[in-house]
Amino acid sequence: MEAAAWLCLVSPLAGALLITLAGTRISRRVAGYLSTLSVAVAFVGASITFFALLDRNTDDRTVTSEAWTWLAAGDFRVPLQILIDPLSVFMMLIVSGVGALIVAYSIGYMDGEDEERRYFAYMSLFVFSMLMLVQSANFVLLLVGWGLVGLSSYLLIGFHHERPSAVAAAKKAFIMNAFGDATMALAIFLLFWQGAPLALSGFEYADGTSQTVMTLVALGMLGGAVAKSAQLPLQTWLPDAMEGPTPVSALIHAATMVTAGVYMLVRLNPIFEAAPEVQDLAAGIGALTLLVAGLIALVQVDIKRVIAYSTMSQIGYMFLGAGLGAYASGMFHLMTHAFFKALLFLAAGIVIHALMGEQDMRNMGGLRAYLPKTRIAFLVGALALAGMPPLSGFWSKDSILAGALADGWYGRTLLVAGLIGVFLTGVYTFRMFFLVFEGDVSPYAREHIHVPEPGHGEGPFSMTSTVWVLTVLAAIGGLIQIPGLWELVSDWLDPVAEPLVEPSVLQDYTISAISVAIGLAGIGVAWWIYGHATRPSFTRRFVLAQRLLEHKFYFDEAYDWVFYKPAVWIANAWRRFVEKPLIEGSIDAVAGGTRRAGGEVSHTQTGLVRSYALALAFGVAILVLVFISVR
Amino acid sequence: MTGPEIPLYLTVASFLFATGALGVLLRRNPLIVLLSLEIMLNGANLAFIAFARRLGDASGQIFAVAVMAVAASEVVVGLGLVVALHRRDLELDVDTLSTLKG
Repeated sequence: MEAAAWLCLVSPLAGALLITLAGTRISRRVAGYLSTLSVAVAFVGASITFFALLDRNTDDRTVTSEAWTWLAAGDFRVPLQILIDPLSVFMMLIVSGVGALIVAYSIGYMDGEDEERRYFAYMSLFVFSMLMLVQSANFVLLLVGWGLVGLSSYLLIGFHHERPSAVAAAKKAFIMNAFGDATMALAIFLLFWQGAPLALSGFEYADGTSQTVMTLVALGMLGGAVAKSAQLPLQTWLPDAMEGPTPVSALIHAATMVTAGVYMLVRLNPIFEAAPEVQDLAAGIGALTLLVAGLIALVQVDIKRVIAYSTMSQIGYMFLGAGLGAYASGMFHLMTHAFFKALLFLAAGIVIHALMGEQDMRNMGGLRAYLPKTRIAFLVGALALAGMPPLSGFWSKDSILAGALADGWYGRTLLVAGLIGVFLTGVYTFRMFFLVFEGDVSPYAREHIHVPEPGHGEGPFSMTSTVWVLTVLAAIGGLIQIPGLWELVSDWLDPVAEPLVEPSVLQDYTISAISVAIGLAGIGVAWWIYGHATRPSFTRRFVLAQRLLEHKFYFDEAYDWVFYKPAVWIANAWRRFVEKPLIEGSIDAVAGGTRRAGGEVSHTQTGLVRSYALALAFGVAILVLVFISVR
Repeated sequence: MTGPEIPLYLTVASFLFATGALGVLLRRNPLIVLLSLEIMLNGANLAFIAFARRLGDASGQIFAVAVMAVAASEVVVGLGLVVALHRRDLELDVDTLSTLKG
C-alpha cells in the first residue's frame, strides 16, 4: 500500500521530468500521452491505496511512510514522509482522477499550440505539487506542497507568455498566494517555537500553549487557505487566472489548487477547533465570498469568468461547511464540485475551441444548432451546479446547508447567505446557459463556427470522451451519500475529522426542499430574463448596481489604492529625496572630482622631453637625499 | 691593490654623470642629447667597475657590460629617430617635438 501511495506521488513528477529532459526528441503528441499516462498511473496508485485502506479496520486507517530524513538540524528532524489516511486518499483520488481526465482533454485542446511539451510538463508538475500537498505528513512538507502549487499555477497561468495580460495575471496569482504562504509559514514557526510536533496526523498542542498562540496559529493557517482558495479578501487573482488555457482553469478549479484551502481546514481541524473564533471566521468568510462571487458572476460576459466566479462561490460553500465543522460535507462538495466544475470548464472549452478562441458570451448564442451534445453535457453540469436533484451538486450542497441548519444561531445566519447563494447560482448558471446555447444563432457564431463535418463529433476524441466521462460523474457522483440511506463519505472521513454538527435526516430533507425551490426560482428568473428572443432590458434600470458588479466590488481598485499606490509614492519619495541627492549625488561628486583633478594634472604633461628629464633628475636627487638622511 | 683609491674614481664618475645630465637638460639638439646620455651611462659604468674591482666581485663588471649593450641599442633607436626627423624635414630641436602635450 505504501508503495502504491509513493507511486501516486512520484509518477507525475517522473512524467514532468521525462518530458523536460526528452526535449525535442519526442513529438508534441507523445508529450501529451506521457503526461496523461503519468497522471493516470498516479490515479491507479491512488486507487490501489484506497482499496488497501478499505480492507483495514476503521480505526487502523492511518499509515505514515518515510523515505528518508529530508532535513536535520540537531534534535530537529523533518522526514520526507507521506501520510496515508482516509482524507488524503480521498484527495489523491480526486486530484489524480479528475486531473488525468483534464490532461487527456488537453491533448485535443492544445493540439497545434506552440510549446505543447512545456505545457504538458507543467501539467504533470501541477498534479505532482497538489499530490505532495495532500500527501505530506508534516507541516514543513505541507508548506512545500503549498509553495509548489503556487509555482506551477504561476507557470501555467502565464503559459501564453507573449501576452502581457497573461503575465500580469500569473504574477498576481503568485503574489497573492505568496502572501498566504507567508502567513502559513509564520504559523508554522509559531508551532515550532511552542515545541509542538510538526506531524500532521493526531496533532496536539504542547501543554501550556496559550490561547493567544492557538488563535494566531489558526489565523496564519487560515490566511494560507484563504489565499489558495481565492476567498475574500484575497480572491482577486482567481478571475484573472482565466488567462491560462481552459484546461488549466479546469485543473486549477476542479482538481488542484483552490481545493487546497478546504483540504487544509479539514486536515488541521484540531488547530481550528482549538481556536473556535477563527473557525467561525472561516465559515463567515465562506458565506460572504459565496454571496459576493455569486453577485459578480451575474454580470460577467466572459464565459470562463462566470465559471471562475461560480468556483469562488462554491468554495465559499465548502469553507462554510468546513468552518462550521461539517467536514465530510465540505469534502463531499469538494468532490462533486470537482466533477461538475471540470465538466463545465471542459464543455466551455469545446465551445471556445469551436468558436476559434472567442470567450465573450455576447458573441455566442444559439450554439444548440452546432453543438447539441456539448449542450447536453453543459446542461448536466449547470444543473448539478445549481443543485438540482438527483445530480451531484444537489446532495453535497444540501448536506452543507443542513449542517448550517443544525448549528447554532451563527450557522443559521450563514444559512440565509447560503440560500441566497443558491438563488444566485441558479440565475448566473442559467444566464450563461441561455446566452450560449439558446436563442437565435448569433451572427458572430455563424461566421466563426468551426466544427468538424457532421457525424465526426463536436471536437477531437480526447476532448469529447473526457467530457462524457465527467458528465456521467457529475450526474451520479452525488449518489454515494444519501442522507438516511447510506453515507459513504461521512463514514469514510469521520474517523479523521470528527464532525461538530450532525444534522438529522429531517433537517436534511427540509433544507433540500427549500434549496431546490430557491434554485428553481433562480433558474426561472434566468429563463424569464435571458430565455426569450427579446430580452427585457434590466441593465438600464440598475446602472449603479451594474457598474459596482462589473468592477467586482472595486476590490482591484481598492487594493490598487491601499497597497500599490502608496508603495509607488513611497518609492518615488525615496527616489527623489534619498536616491537622487544622496546616493546619485555622492557618486556624481566622486566622478566629477576625479575628472577635474585629472584635468588639472594633465597640464603638467607639457610634451617637452627636457622638462620630464628635469623632473626625473629632481626626483632622483630628492630620493638620494632621503636615503642618505634616513641611513 | 694598486692604482687610485675609490674616492677618486667616484669623483670622476660623478663629474661625468653631472656633465651628461647638464647636456641632457640644457641642449636642444637630439644628437647632443643622445651623446650626453651616453656620457651619463659611462659615468655610472665607471662607478660600477671601480666598486667591482675594490670589492673583488665580478657582478659590477657584468653590469657594466649589460649597460653598454643597453646603451648601444638605445643609440640605435635614438639615431633612427633622428634620421626619421631629418627625412621629414623637421627641425632638429627636442622642444618643438611636443605633440604629446597633455
